Amino acid sequence: MTAIADDAVPALRLARFGEAIRRNPTILIGAVLLAGLVTIAVFAPWISGDPFRLSPVNRLRPPSERWWFGTDRFGRDVFALTIHGARVSLIVGLSVALISSAIGLAIGLVCGYFRWVDAVVMRVMDGLMAIPSILLAIALITLTRPGLGIVIVAIIIPEVPRVSRVVRSVALSIRSQPYIESAVAGGTRSGKLLVRHILPNTVAPLIVQGTYVCASAMLIEAGLSFLGAGVPPEIPSWGNIIAQGRTFFQIAPWSILIPGAFLAITVLAVNMLGDGLRDRLDPRLARRM
Amino acid sequence: MNNVLEIRDLATHFFTRDGVVRAVDGVSFDLASGETLGIVGESGCGKSVTALSILRLISPETGRIVSGSIRFDGRELTTLSDEEMRSIRGHQISMIFQEPMTSLNPVLTVGTQIAENIVRHRNLSWSAALDRAHEMLDLVKISDSRRRLDEYPHQLSGGMRQRVMIAIALSCNPRVLIADEPTTALDVTIQAQILGLMLELKEKLGTAIIMITHDLGVIAETTQRVVVMYAGHKVEEAPVEELFARAMHPYTRGLLRAIPRTDADAELAGRRRRLQEIPGIVPALTRPITGCPFAPRCAFVAARCRAERPPLEEPEAGHTVACWEMRRVLEAAA
Repeated sequence: MTAIADDAVPALRLARFGEAIRRNPTILIGAVLLAGLVTIAVFAPWISGDPFRLSPVNRLRPPSERWWFGTDRFGRDVFALTIHGARVSLIVGLSVALISSAIGLAIGLVCGYFRWVDAVVMRVMDGLMAIPSILLAIALITLTRPGLGIVIVAIIIPEVPRVSRVVRSVALSIRSQPYIESAVAGGTRSGKLLVRHILPNTVAPLIVQGTYVCASAMLIEAGLSFLGAGVPPEIPSWGNIIAQGRTFFQIAPWSILIPGAFLAITVLAVNMLGDGLRDRLDPRLARRM
Repeated sequence: MNNVLEIRDLATHFFTRDGVVRAVDGVSFDLASGETLGIVGESGCGKSVTALSILRLISPETGRIVSGSIRFDGRELTTLSDEEMRSIRGHQISMIFQEPMTSLNPVLTVGTQIAENIVRHRNLSWSAALDRAHEMLDLVKISDSRRRLDEYPHQLSGGMRQRVMIAIALSCNPRVLIADEPTTALDVTIQAQILGLMLELKEKLGTAIIMITHDLGVIAETTQRVVVMYAGHKVEEAPVEELFARAMHPYTRGLLRAIPRTDADAELAGRRRRLQEIPGIVPALTRPITGCPFAPRCAFVAARCRAERPPLEEPEAGHTVACWEMRRVLEAAA
């Protein structure tokens, strides 16, 4: 009996997964695009040549069979630069999403549950949210040496309050649910209540918020690199490729348009994944579809 | 009979911007072990606050127990530490809430929610607790219980969810079960099943039950003794048959007259009267009430009722009532 039941479970799961994809193709499209980008970024050195090889003879060549995306003003291969640039964007996007979700989750849960912490901490969060992330990053980078790490930190600081607000609002509404009162009536202590009963309810909105944070982190990184306040120019990033191509935009538009298109597609893929997950994870929306 | 719970002069007040709300103001009653006691009254009369006070679940931000004593098995609950109180909640005294739809956590399986209570109070391993949870689901007569353990609350019907709530509440063999309007949100057929189940389990496990309801039908079917509350006060207490036959407080009489009758007697007598309501509403509890709290709505009101609070008297053994005019009330009924 049990053996049959156990065998049936994976097949059932697979069927349910297929059903979910069919109903909700945005998840699939977003996930496939993102998976493709991750593959490209991981295997960048094998896919393309050295992005730093200068070849002054072949400056500003348009896209051709030899240089798929053309070359820039130093004769560097834009294809190789763009592919390597994907690494920076993805690393920044993912690490900002993960770290700010984790910190925001902890702060949001505590604020949503303990009202006396809430008043103080949320005002601090409001203060942090008021700082434009680009300005904060420029300030931080002028204080330290530019690098990927400092860019990530500079983006995380203003993103944490966004995540913690979402988690806090969920925690606040869950906290007044009868099942929480019921759990208290059963003798559950606060810590356990928070982790076991409130935390799982925040997972769905947290994942969705995380994907938006990921997309916006990529955009902010590109903006910073464009302004010269982001990753140093020796690391190719979509932002600094665009910045370097800016002066030759009229005669060599490919060195701006192609990394720009990559940036747009990546952000779109992450947002599609986030939208799809929101529809999927919110039981009220999922049922309607 | 030995009392498992003795409540004396319990007063729970809430401190709001509009003033002090005396939600419960000097209520006393006993609960014998294995007994079913009903607490009945309109909305806002202090039934639920009494129940929450017993478990000390009044949120300290808004209110507190200002005086009185709650003795459980000889232990004074009002002075226990939070830690000691937590070990009693869900273990020796447990509670079922009104809303079976929202009293279970939607993101945890039924099995987890039952087992959690067992692990917390019984120190069992998780797998032993799950076995016990399985047993409990069988006990509350949920079919296909093995599969139900892994299901989420939204996969269960309202009646089944209330059965799960009962399973959680009884999983540690509590001495006292407080049921706060356990069947209000259910339709009548399911209501009858759930009440039947509660009584059956009470016999099996020897748990005393406090049944809080505004439904006198539920009281008649399930309880042995009834406390009638009005505006935070106990106005009458009697064994259930006695109360239905010879209610002495005008408020209790009013409640009884507000029940629709469908029996043959009424039909034959040709007096299918309009239901009688009690005029007026429950008084605001923010101002101290002089005299009888029911006086403004009472048909038997006399000058004394407005001036002096009637004391609880015991005109018959086991039947207490707080009314100056109880003689007239009884004569009028005869």
